[in-house]
Amino acid sequence: MRRLVPSVGLLGQVVAILLLTMLIEFGVSTMLYERASQFSVRDDEARRLAEHLVISHRLVAERTAAERAAMADDLTTDRYEIHWDHAPPHVPPVAPSLDQMRRQIIEWEPSLRARDLRIRLVSPGSSSAVTGGLRLDDDSWLHFRTLAPVARLHFGFERITLALVPAIALMVIGGLMLRRALLPLRRLAVAADRVGHDEVEPVPEDGPGEVRRVVAAFNRMQARIRALIDTRTQALAAVGHDLRTPLARLRLRSESVEDVDTRGAIAHDVAEMEAMVTSLLAFLGGESNPETPVPVDLAVMCATLVDDASDAGRTADYAGPDHLELRLRRSGFKRALTNLVDNALHYGERLTIALDADADVVTVRVIDDGPGIPEGRLAEVLQPFVRLDPARRRDTVGFGLGLAIAMQAVQAEGGTLTLANRVPHGLEAVIRLNHPSPRT
Amino acid sequence: MTAPIILLVEDDPALRTLTARALQENGFAVRSASAAPEMWLALESGPVDLVLLDIMLPGTSGIDLCRALRQRSDVPIIFMSARSSETDRVVGLELGADDYIAKPFGVRELVARVRAVLRRPPLDRRSGEGDSGLLTFEGWTVNLPRRELMSPTGAVVDLTGAEFDLLVVLADHAQRIIARERLIELSRTRLGDSSDRSIDVLVSRLRRKLSGAGHAAPIVTVRGVGYMLNVAVERS
Repeated sequence: MRRLVPSVGLLGQVVAILLLTMLIEFGVSTMLYERASQFSVRDDEARRLAEHLVISHRLVAERTAAERAAMADDLTTDRYEIHWDHAPPHVPPVAPSLDQMRRQIIEWEPSLRARDLRIRLVSPGSSSAVTGGLRLDDDSWLHFRTLAPVARLHFGFERITLALVPAIALMVIGGLMLRRALLPLRRLAVAADRVGHDEVEPVPEDGPGEVRRVVAAFNRMQARIRALIDTRTQALAAVGHDLRTPLARLRLRSESVEDVDTRGAIAHDVAEMEAMVTSLLAFLGGESNPETPVPVDLAVMCATLVDDASDAGRTADYAGPDHLELRLRRSGFKRALTNLVDNALHYGERLTIALDADADVVTVRVIDDGPGIPEGRLAEVLQPFVRLDPARRRDTVGFGLGLAIAMQAVQAEGGTLTLANRVPHGLEAVIRLNHPSPRT
Repeated sequence: MTAPIILLVEDDPALRTLTARALQENGFAVRSASAAPEMWLALESGPVDLVLLDIMLPGTSGIDLCRALRQRSDVPIIFMSARSSETDRVVGLELGADDYIAKPFGVRELVARVRAVLRRPPLDRRSGEGDSGLLTFEGWTVNLPRRELMSPTGAVVDLTGAEFDLLVVLADHAQRIIARERLIELSRTRLGDSSDRSIDVLVSRLRRKLSGAGHAAPIVTVRGVGYMLNVAVERS
């Protein structure tokens, strides 16, 4: 899945995203300043400022340079602060110029047109003030600043909103684009999480160049792991099968042994070895090809296990609906249930399988009336190769894989297997499965 | 009655000898072969009643051999295999083997399987091409080679061995009454191995498992006489 056009890379994509957000920010700010230049004050306010400026100009211009500063100070009122300086007014470049207001002032006092009137909006704190300057004939400047808020318009609030909207929009757009750029990484994470649980498909190699390289490396690693496991599994399966031929010979030979006790003992040993080989192969998956889920009547499966047990002369009941169809890996799941049933019959006298289904969970309980398991070891016995009684007092057969195999099969269905003791005694193995489409 | 002739195809010499001896001691005549070429020679040298075939042979796999054998003859085949997985069993049975026995097996089990297959009337086995061993009634499908029952909605419905055999007997005699005594007699020879459950229990279990959405299973009790599957069964 190689692309012909080389990817710009993660860095390139991030830069492109930044560039785009900056372009949008620029566009929106321009719009904002455009709005500010339209900012106009009430006519009387513009007129009052115009008159004050004309008078101040005339009075200051008449004075000598030494007197001008004092004159300017005298002209300062509650409303306007006047100040004289050689330099033009310094305003932060971000302060929007107020074209509309300037027009209003000049319209009232056309003489100011020649004075290079500069007027800008500054916002010290929350209230907006207008500041600006007039050029005198000798290129010195008369600075002015309104002291009372010029307009009762909520211009500050409007500006914040205006600035906030593009910021939020930018965050959303930028976030979405980064999310898209990082999508292949997320897919990789999901696939990596699944390694070891079920068949993992190769992750599609797309996205930025760096991510593509990571995905490709991951896919190669996955293939290597699979090849390694396959080799081991095949070798093990071969050993398992090859062991069965001598076992078959031994079994047939044992039947010609005259002594009944010896014959029984050999048959028992062969059966035990066979059970061990079978459970080992089941646990390591050396024998079955990966199963695909098929519709299964789980209720009948449980009932049949109970029927088999009672045909074998044991006390067993089934409690639950007559039919419950689910999609399951059939022989794997049946092996899980069979292992639980075998355990129950091994340690207890009475077996009960209870099946419950509600809207989203199917619960299968395999219950016995045996001695149960010490509370502290309930989780431990689900681990492979863990046997409860090392002394094998109860003729325990196998490697201690029965529950581990059951656990594996239940997990393959996305379910959980837990064990709990019962009062007064007994063990309850609980399988919980998701139930996507309830059909009873 | 002459002894049935078994052709034993097994590559392990010791196991071949032991199996042959076990069969001979139980009244069968045995011809042995270690691999495919010998098997074809043995088949040409005279009639054979049953082939006991190891699934993993040098050269040809037992599965290919089974396919080739099935194309030429209807002789009953029992697979022997060191692989005991469900898939292997199903593959073997679908290719036309009559039964499957997993290694290691005991003499008693082997002899029982051989006798059971030999006892089956030829009609019971698949006869010729196109017969895939399916019985269908009211949407239910009985897959004879896989010994599987499928519900009308396509779900696999588990049955115990005895229940499956009873269902097959009922289906074979569809729309005819089978006397209880006859079923009991069959249950001793054919139904299950050591089940001493009465026929009535088996029938009631089958009824429960065959009950559909809202309607009862199509098995009727004819009071004082026996049972009947009261729907038409189609074979394909």
